[in-house]
Amino acid sequence: MTAQVPVLAVRDLRKRYAETTALDGVSFEVRPHEVVGLIGENGAGKSTLLKTLVGLVQPDSGSIEMHGKPVKMRGIAQAGAAGIGMVFQEQSLIPNITVAENILLGAEGPAVLGGFYRWGELNRRAQVHLDKIGSSISPTTLTEELSFADRQMVEVAKVLATEERTNAEPVVLLDEPTSVLDRDEAEVLFEQIERLRSRASVVFVSHRLDEVLRVSDRVYVLRNGQAVAECVPGDVDEAKLRKLMIGRDMEGSHYDEENQVPASEEVLLSVRGLTVRGVCEDINFDLHNGEVLGIAGVQGSGREELCRSIFGALPTRRGRIELDGRRMRLRSPRAAISQDIGFVPAERRAEGMISSMTVAENITLPHIEEVCAGPVLLRGKERALADEWIERLSIRTPGSAVPIGSLSGGNQQKAVLARWMVSDSLRLLILDHPTRGLDVGAKADVYKLIRELAATGVSVLLMADSLEELIAMSHRVLVMKDGHVSGVLDAPPDAKPAPIDVLERMI
Amino acid sequence: MTVTETLPERPLVPEAPKKSRNAVRKRLLTFMPIIVLLVLVTAISIANPNFLRANSLWTALDSSVPIMILASGAMLVILCGGIDLSVAALASMASVFVALWIPGMGGWAVPLVVIVCALAGMLQGAVHVVAQVPSFLVTLGGLAVWSGIALVASGAATVGVSGSTLGWTFTRVTDLGIPSAVLVAAALVTVIGLVLQFTPARRWLISIGSSEPAALMAGVPAAQTKIAAFTVSGACAGFAGVMLVGRTFSGAPTLADSLLLPVVAAIVVGGTAITGGFGGIGRTVVGVLIIAVLRVGLSVAGVPSSYEQIFYGVLVIGAVALTIDRSKLPFVK
Repeated sequence: MTAQVPVLAVRDLRKRYAETTALDGVSFEVRPHEVVGLIGENGAGKSTLLKTLVGLVQPDSGSIEMHGKPVKMRGIAQAGAAGIGMVFQEQSLIPNITVAENILLGAEGPAVLGGFYRWGELNRRAQVHLDKIGSSISPTTLTEELSFADRQMVEVAKVLATEERTNAEPVVLLDEPTSVLDRDEAEVLFEQIERLRSRASVVFVSHRLDEVLRVSDRVYVLRNGQAVAECVPGDVDEAKLRKLMIGRDMEGSHYDEENQVPASEEVLLSVRGLTVRGVCEDINFDLHNGEVLGIAGVQGSGREELCRSIFGALPTRRGRIELDGRRMRLRSPRAAISQDIGFVPAERRAEGMISSMTVAENITLPHIEEVCAGPVLLRGKERALADEWIERLSIRTPGSAVPIGSLSGGNQQKAVLARWMVSDSLRLLILDHPTRGLDVGAKADVYKLIRELAATGVSVLLMADSLEELIAMSHRVLVMKDGHVSGVLDAPPDAKPAPIDVLERMI
Repeated sequence: MTVTETLPERPLVPEAPKKSRNAVRKRLLTFMPIIVLLVLVTAISIANPNFLRANSLWTALDSSVPIMILASGAMLVILCGGIDLSVAALASMASVFVALWIPGMGGWAVPLVVIVCALAGMLQGAVHVVAQVPSFLVTLGGLAVWSGIALVASGAATVGVSGSTLGWTFTRVTDLGIPSAVLVAAALVTVIGLVLQFTPARRWLISIGSSEPAALMAGVPAAQTKIAAFTVSGACAGFAGVMLVGRTFSGAPTLADSLLLPVVAAIVVGGTAITGGFGGIGRTVVGVLIIAVLRVGLSVAGVPSSYEQIFYGVLVIGAVALTIDRSKLPFVK
């Protein structure tokens, strides 16, 4: 075999956000006519990597080479000009224009003359690209009339259209392309990928390991922002890949497992037949007093939506939610809060706190009645309460009157937890990735707080970034897959289930 | 002996440099309006030393009372991230109704008109919240509706008011020569200021204006708070209409229409962020004073009053361009 110049070579890419390292020196390459699989847990850096490749994210350091030449991507248009295109998980087509317009959008070339479309030319050129993938979609169809799978084909054709400009083979990035397709549609997609191979290279990102093994020539495993393994499908199986995804850095001790107090027999929350339109269906589970119930599932499994609906932030379609045997009808988070439910959102900056408001104001916001006498806000009492919790949770801040946005991520998160703990009557706390973006020390603090809350009888619904974390922190693990509960595993301190067992039910 | 030190390969993480710029912007927002006000007052006093006499100061304040009242209410809507473009039209409508109702019911016309305008504001707020129509559009539509109602009710004519029912709105408090309107406006500003200072209202407005999703997840009653802001804005507009009738002895369907721009200008020049989440009544008072002094300044400089709107227009755009927090906007519509 001759040594080929890779179509795409990524070397030592690094990207740090304020508090987290998303990419920690990723290197990989894609050779001509190759289908490369890319897998990794949530938060392993897959989406950041893809966004970097199409210029939506600028790396801090490292290089990207196309056909042996270094390139700097500054946006999708430029990435397209360099011959790299992405088929987005959330699709990027404009619904109310025709297929041909979409395929050639921004790359019309001779199909636009003097500012006017030459429709004949436009449709002819679009047809050429559709023919490449053997698609029978008519270029004059209105995009919104197509099925989801067909629209994905149009996206692929759109990426192939870049080929003309670069006179070289393009690289097509497919981000979770099968997550919204049914079996038959997925089969069609796999055929298309085979077909694509003759004129392009493909990077295939998926949670579904069987698919990755089936379509890829090589598979890279991402973990903690690094490519930790490169394998050939013939040499590995799904189990091996899962092991590689999870890694072996389980230290265990910092999860405080010995402090896991058995939960009460009494049921606090009882969910029956809960259905949220289009995301999860017929969910049943009980949550006991003082229990931490971990909810495992990949993105799109419906677990986020399930938790939001219990907090009244998403409308439910069917089903009952009972708290202490009483049926709750929650139309808003405010109503849930009045029932002593709390929620720590995953996106701290967008939903968890108001960055410009002070630490004290953020702590008292949900339970402002605690520091009010009638309608009058008692600032002295508020300050005292905030100071008390700053002290109790050892929140490192110059004071309670500084904007919460100026604190470090871990201290922000402690303040966000404090806002629910100020209420003595807190019954249920929903934690959506409470340790996201925190360093090891801050994570340990949050674990400790969760343990303490549970020990005092507060029930917790927990979603976590990594499986070890989820399993270690939970009394039981509820696994969700495609909007259904696919299993419930007991997780007592001395007999925690293996991550593989959970992962098997997730994927 | 030489020791070769191996430097760690990992590149140093660059320090976040954005903070300082934001801090400067915050400081600018805090002190700039007051500095601008002082500079304007100084400049006008130099050009015309008479300006600093009590009488002319009171006159300047008196003439800005309608803007002050309108701005106090409209600021609340801007604080929670919306905008109320209907305030001036609503004030015009109020002037017509006051003028029409005083002959029949005397002084009771005043609270009635304020209540009617509060309901009009509440309706706009409810439509904005329930139907999820952008506030600028709801109130732009409202502007046309209230103008139309005023036009129909008045028969497209000025409605004169005789008698002394509204005398209290346009007189001088004896001995001191303080215009009564200024005291009325000061009382209103004080009430709004006290409510903002001593209840959770301001916190709710600011949290909604800063990040509505985060406010919702914290259980802030966002819908009620927004509707309340629109209601108060409507009530203030009605009250401003009453004050206008007091000084012109008539109500007219376009009486207050030219006040919309100076009101918005006063709010943003005072340092309240047009994107919401930052500002307050103190800033709005300063903004209104800037507009009031600017008006005097323009006349001292011999600029015809017909040029005023041009200045307000430029001022609004300029003030927003200088102060807007672009990091908060994903894109500008």
